[in-house]
Amino acid sequence: MKLQRMRIEQLRQFRKPFVLDNLQPGLNLIHGPNESGKSTLVRAIRAAFFERYRSTAVDDLRPWGDSAAAPTIELDFEHDNRVWRLTKSFLQRKRCDLVVGTETYSEDDAEEKLAELLGYQYPKRGASKAEHWGIPGLLWVEQGTGQDIEQAIEHAGDHLKSALNSMVGEVASSGGDDLIETVRSQRDTLLTGTGKPRGDYQQLEKDRALYEREIGELKERVHKYQEQVDRLGKLAHDYDQAEAERPWEDAQRQLEEARVRYQQVERLEQQQNQEKATLSQLLQNHRLLQQNKEHLEGLSRQLEGRKAELDRAERDLSTAEAQTPMIAGRLSEARTAYEQAEKQRKLAGLLQTRQRLEQDVRRLEQQKQVLSQNLAKAKEYHQQLEQARQQARENRIDAELVKKLRATGNQLNEETIRSRTIATRLSWQLDAGASLTLNDESLTGQGEQQLLEESTLVIPGVGTLGITPGGEELASTRRKLKALEEDLEEQLKTLGVESVQQAEDRLSAFESAGRAVKHADELFKSLAPAGLEQLVSDQNEAEGELEKARTQLEATPKPDPQEDVPALEEAEAAFARAGTALDKAESDERVHQSSLSALKQARDNAKTEWQRLADEEKSPERQQQLRQITADLANIEKQQAELEASLERREREIREARPEFLRQDIERYQNAVNQLRQTQENRSRELRDIKVRLEAWGAEGLEEQLNEQEAEFDQCNRRYQELHRRAQALDLLLNLLTEKRQALTRRLQAPLQKHLNHYLSVLFPEASLEVDEQLRPGTFSRGSELGQITELSFGAREQMGLISRLAYADLLREAGRPTLVILDDTLVHSDSDRLEDMKRILFDAASRHQILLFTCHPGNWNDLGVPPIDLQSLKVQAVAQA
Amino acid sequence: MPKFLHTADWQMGRAFTRFETEDGAALVEARFEAIETLAQLANEHQCDAVLVAGDVFDAQTVSDRTIRRVFNATRGFTGPWVVLPGNHDAALAESVWTRAQRLGAVPENVHLALQPGVIDLEDQGLSILCAPLTQRHTYGDLTEPFSGYETPEGFLRIGLAHGSVQGLLPDEIDSTNPIAPDRAEASRLDYLALGDWHGTKQIDERTWYSGTPEPERFRNNEAGNALVVEVSEPGANPKVTSLPTGRYQWHQWRETLAVHSDLEQLLERLNTLPESAVVDLRLEGSVTLAGEETLLKALSVAEARFRSLRCERSGLQLAPTDEDIAALKADGYVGEVVESLRERQEGAQDDVARDALAILAGLLREREQEVGQ
Repeated sequence: MKLQRMRIEQLRQFRKPFVLDNLQPGLNLIHGPNESGKSTLVRAIRAAFFERYRSTAVDDLRPWGDSAAAPTIELDFEHDNRVWRLTKSFLQRKRCDLVVGTETYSEDDAEEKLAELLGYQYPKRGASKAEHWGIPGLLWVEQGTGQDIEQAIEHAGDHLKSALNSMVGEVASSGGDDLIETVRSQRDTLLTGTGKPRGDYQQLEKDRALYEREIGELKERVHKYQEQVDRLGKLAHDYDQAEAERPWEDAQRQLEEARVRYQQVERLEQQQNQEKATLSQLLQNHRLLQQNKEHLEGLSRQLEGRKAELDRAERDLSTAEAQTPMIAGRLSEARTAYEQAEKQRKLAGLLQTRQRLEQDVRRLEQQKQVLSQNLAKAKEYHQQLEQARQQARENRIDAELVKKLRATGNQLNEETIRSRTIATRLSWQLDAGASLTLNDESLTGQGEQQLLEESTLVIPGVGTLGITPGGEELASTRRKLKALEEDLEEQLKTLGVESVQQAEDRLSAFESAGRAVKHADELFKSLAPAGLEQLVSDQNEAEGELEKARTQLEATPKPDPQEDVPALEEAEAAFARAGTALDKAESDERVHQSSLSALKQARDNAKTEWQRLADEEKSPERQQQLRQITADLANIEKQQAELEASLERREREIREARPEFLRQDIERYQNAVNQLRQTQENRSRELRDIKVRLEAWGAEGLEEQLNEQEAEFDQCNRRYQELHRRAQALDLLLNLLTEKRQALTRRLQAPLQKHLNHYLSVLFPEASLEVDEQLRPGTFSRGSELGQITELSFGAREQMGLISRLAYADLLREAGRPTLVILDDTLVHSDSDRLEDMKRILFDAASRHQILLFTCHPGNWNDLGVPPIDLQSLKVQAVAQA
Repeated sequence: MPKFLHTADWQMGRAFTRFETEDGAALVEARFEAIETLAQLANEHQCDAVLVAGDVFDAQTVSDRTIRRVFNATRGFTGPWVVLPGNHDAALAESVWTRAQRLGAVPENVHLALQPGVIDLEDQGLSILCAPLTQRHTYGDLTEPFSGYETPEGFLRIGLAHGSVQGLLPDEIDSTNPIAPDRAEASRLDYLALGDWHGTKQIDERTWYSGTPEPERFRNNEAGNALVVEVSEPGANPKVTSLPTGRYQWHQWRETLAVHSDLEQLLERLNTLPESAVVDLRLEGSVTLAGEETLLKALSVAEARFRSLRCERSGLQLAPTDEDIAALKADGYVGEVVESLRERQEGAQDDVARDALAILAGLLREREQEVGQ
């Protein structure tokens, strides 16, 4: 589609006719400042197509204040190798004419023809809005909306798809999406998103379960009712039968019979007990008589016993009397032995005392001797000690002072020696006879002397020589020497010795005396630790004891050496033994005496007893009694035998009647009677209960209720099945529609993507822009950047919007659809680099589509390579022409 | 000349499933009316008695109201009614009958044959030999004792029993409660009035099933009648007249549609049915979209006309023709969906696909109509 010329009149500021002529098939740049009428031109093109010629909602087209105006637009364009002329007037003169080649359309036909050609629709009433604009809405970009591509694509939706049919075959569907929505909404009244029942469908499902439960319960109750009816039938039958047969009466009869039999047995048992009592009396009587008889018969036997006892007592007594002399003999022997043992023990004691005293005397003598020796030695050691002490006293000297003296002596010696070395040595060798006098000392022969002091040497005959030893040291040495000599002298005097040597000797003597004192003291102390006096007193004491022991010994009688005296211990043991033997013998004697008297007593008693019995045994009353008793006994035994025979007979009779079984029979028959009557009573009661129950249940009309419930369930179920099938069908339909629609979308995506990539490679060489299911540009990726187009900057979104629109235009052109691109002041937010790229894109697109680019910034588009159309000057020209 | 009305199988207290609530209620009501009709017929034909051969009640525990209404409905005829318990209302220890007696609902002139034996209707000269069921199921012939029953001289011997005559009824009928096929002859009966089989059916000259007076199933033939029986004297052949009593006629049609004319014929036949019809249609085969539209319209009309109309169409495939599709203007992917559903429906006999197709066609038609406006 190529717009060639447009003419407008009585439209906003274009009150007079205005013609935009010579529009090029490619790019057309139309510029003018604000208010120059650019937007009016765009609005005019839109109104020509979108607004119904008879619309009353286009007041905005009217020139200001001109109520008589008839805004008119005339468009000449070429499409499909044919020339189209659209003339449309609004408001005061409502008209629409379309001439296509030689064909003419007018009014609504004309408008429908245009809508079909371009792919848009008219509003039902009022002004045309974006949702009606269809494909032109996508390709004709209003000022400031270039970035809002999504909305435009949605509005173009079905038009686009049907327009693109030829591209992908007959796949798109007119109104398909509405259909899907309808199916979806119908499905959603029955099913939730996850396919669960909802609404009526869900309610029916619940109702159905409810009915099923109620029916189940009713069936259960009907079943119970029928069971009760059956039970009633059986019971009634049993009850009537029992009433007819009366089985408890038989049982009652049998019970009576058993009772009679049992009473008979009871009588027998009574008789048996009476006879048993009689027998037991007889037996008792018999036993008493027997006892009497035995008693009487027992006297003779007792008499014999007594005689035997008397004999035994006498025998025992005589035996005991025979033992008496022997026992007396033993006693006197024991006394003799005891006296002997006592004598022996005294002797042995005497002997032992003597021996001890003798030993004491010997020991004390020895002791006395040792003490005398020790005393002598102790005295000697004591003397030595005194001597050593004397020695020590004589030589007492202070060891420290001796040590000091020795040191002084040594020092003096050393000084003397030193003085000699520095002293003036005077040596002489005199001729024989010659002599000299040195310091008043005569020198002869040969010699040498050291001089420490001024000396005077008189050489006879010659005179006197003064010698003064030289040096100061000599003087000090001499002084020191002198001091030392004085010191030594002092010390010697203190110590009281002549010489150092003497001091040393005295010290040595003192020390040796000390050692001697110590030695002697130790020896002395070993003998007389408590001193000499103690030793003397010990000796005296020992002597005293010795004297006393000797006196005692002499006072002790000497035993007869011929006599055999045992040791004391032995004698004492023998004495003890003899004592014991004596005690024993005495005790035996006492026992014997008491035994004797007891035996005598026993013998006397036995004799008395025997005598008494012997008298009784012989009495005539006893004989009489015995005969009577014997007769009674025989009588009783006869009666007893008769009774026992009778008892045995009756016992057998009772046993054969089996009384225990008779008792059980009675119990059994009694129970049977009770039980049979009870059973019948129970039946009667149960019959009443069941009848009452059934009457109550029957009144409910259970089966009729069940029938009705089943009918309602059936109806509910039918409705449920219908909805179930409908839900499934709708679900299937929705799935199929969605599936097919998606398949279609996928087929359309590919060519659109191709065109989009073509432009995108100019703007962002490494970027890609995905087309989503709704054929909208969606995910944008550039390197590692990934995001939705809506997240881009305003400028970038506008650029993306524009290239998307151009891609759509390419797609539409391939489908043989008209493509006119109108851009109203677009890309104002692009920087210069991007703008440069966009210009290349526009230039490229213009080789396929006619593009009308309106702008108020002509400077930005200088390098577009097309002559700009200056709106302002055109207007001036128009006025001029008019 | 004794004359009596023979009826059976009223099945009172039955509720009807598979019907809309309102239709079910009307069918129940019709059964009460049928009793009244019977009383009226008995009067019209000057019958001496009415014999009911079992299954007066559909169940033992029906509501008190139903019991009372049943007996109330007999009041139109004041002559004797002899009513026999059948298998649905057997004379058990506790039964619908004992309840009716307790309720005091049984009129004087209604004789309940709760015990096997003979009921002599002195005034009418009729001896009714009764074989009531006293258990739910019986496997012996309860009419056997008939031979031993003595009846007064000159009285007609009329047997009254409920069960299956052996060897004559289809096998599928419950074989419990058997009755010997030669019972009438063997027991010297003038007539044997039977119940249990819901259609009117003659067994031999003297043995008949009266059938139910008001149909309640689709499957019974010859239901909805009562028999007027006239026997001139003991031993004479009975004269049996069947009288229609039913209000509603039940029709169950199984039809297979193949070509368009099948549908047209079906609709024509449907048109000829009276308004008192209860119709159950089951359609199979296939129908075009246009055909279905016609069918739905016709069914909608018929539903309003008949007492009840139910049509089962799940076995009927939708076979849209090219014209159908064109008429729907199902272009693009919607067209593909239509095609896919068609294939699925034919290939796998897929009910869901069929329904989906029907829904889609409906939606598309609606849309076309909107556009058309």
